[in-house]
Amino acid sequence: MRRTILSAVALACTAVLAGTAPAFADDPSPVPSVPAERAPSSTAAPTEAAPVPSVSVPAEAPTRAPADGQVSVVPEGAADTGVAGPADTTGTDQGLVGAGAGGVLLAGGAVLFVVRRRRAAAAGA
Amino acid sequence: MIRRPGRALATAALAALLAGCGGGQGGGDAAPSATAANTAPHAQAPAKSVRPLARSVPVGLRIPALGLDTPVMDLGLASDGTVEVPPVTDDDRAGWYRHSPTPGQVGPSVILGHVTVGRYGDGVFRHLARLHRGDRIEARLRNGTAAQFAVTAVRTVAKADFPTEDVYGDVAGPELRLITCGGPRDGEEYRDNVIVFAELSATKGA
Repeated sequence: MRRTILSAVALACTAVLAGTAPAFADDPSPVPSVPAERAPSSTAAPTEAAPVPSVSVPAEAPTRAPADGQVSVVPEGAADTGVAGPADTTGTDQGLVGAGAGGVLLAGGAVLFVVRRRRAAAAGA
Repeated sequence: MIRRPGRALATAALAALLAGCGGGQGGGDAAPSATAANTAPHAQAPAKSVRPLARSVPVGLRIPALGLDTPVMDLGLASDGTVEVPPVTDDDRAGWYRHSPTPGQVGPSVILGHVTVGRYGDGVFRHLARLHRGDRIEARLRNGTAAQFAVTAVRTVAKADFPTEDVYGDVAGPELRLITCGGPRDGEEYRDNVIVFAELSATKGA
């Protein structure tokens, strides 16, 4: 009987490991997260990078007149000063949590199955 | 009584699995907290005792509290009217918005930097939200002078509610705004902006 339980636990652990593996998988050929935000090489000197628009979707040229304030032209909206990369771990964490939860469910089911079988065997004996 | 060892083993295995699940949540690399770094609301009091500097483009920025010393590039407007940001490179740097006053002039001088630069990792303003009221910021100018600022407030605001007037509006004295992204991420975008407000506290070489 103990062998049965150990087999069930081993099965559950295997299932957890199998579920967790995709969460660790890394893209072997990462793609730049926002290619449109890279500096255009044709307009930059070799040693100095050029600034880039804060949003990746180009729009019509602004037709705004300079303001009278201390800031002569006030930009629209917020600044896009963060480009997340593939190395960031937030997505991986979510994958780990999901895989872990799935593993717990599998393990719980396996334990329940084993217990019920043992009870049935004991009742039949 | 014979069953107990088996049940105990199964229970232990389940407990181990539960404990293992908890570990995946601790090592996140999210941007600084949306609220922890906030300080008091920005005060509009001018820097009274320090004489403003003449116009000179900033070439460097130093923040001792963060161990940061970066070159500063010029930034303008994008074609859609938003502010340009520095390029996404491994040698990330800060950028001064050229339509704002230069640091030390009367008005809000605006300097931007990335919090993260994609696959290159941390941006130059990665830890901007750690600044506190009173921390020093030094902007080096092309003419050899330098403007020292003292942080008056650090605010984390949703990009959808960007405080344009607070950032770009007229002020009574020389002030500085440092802007980056922060808060939780939605895909590749950050939800918030972290904005540091500072006032001129001293000058060098003037």
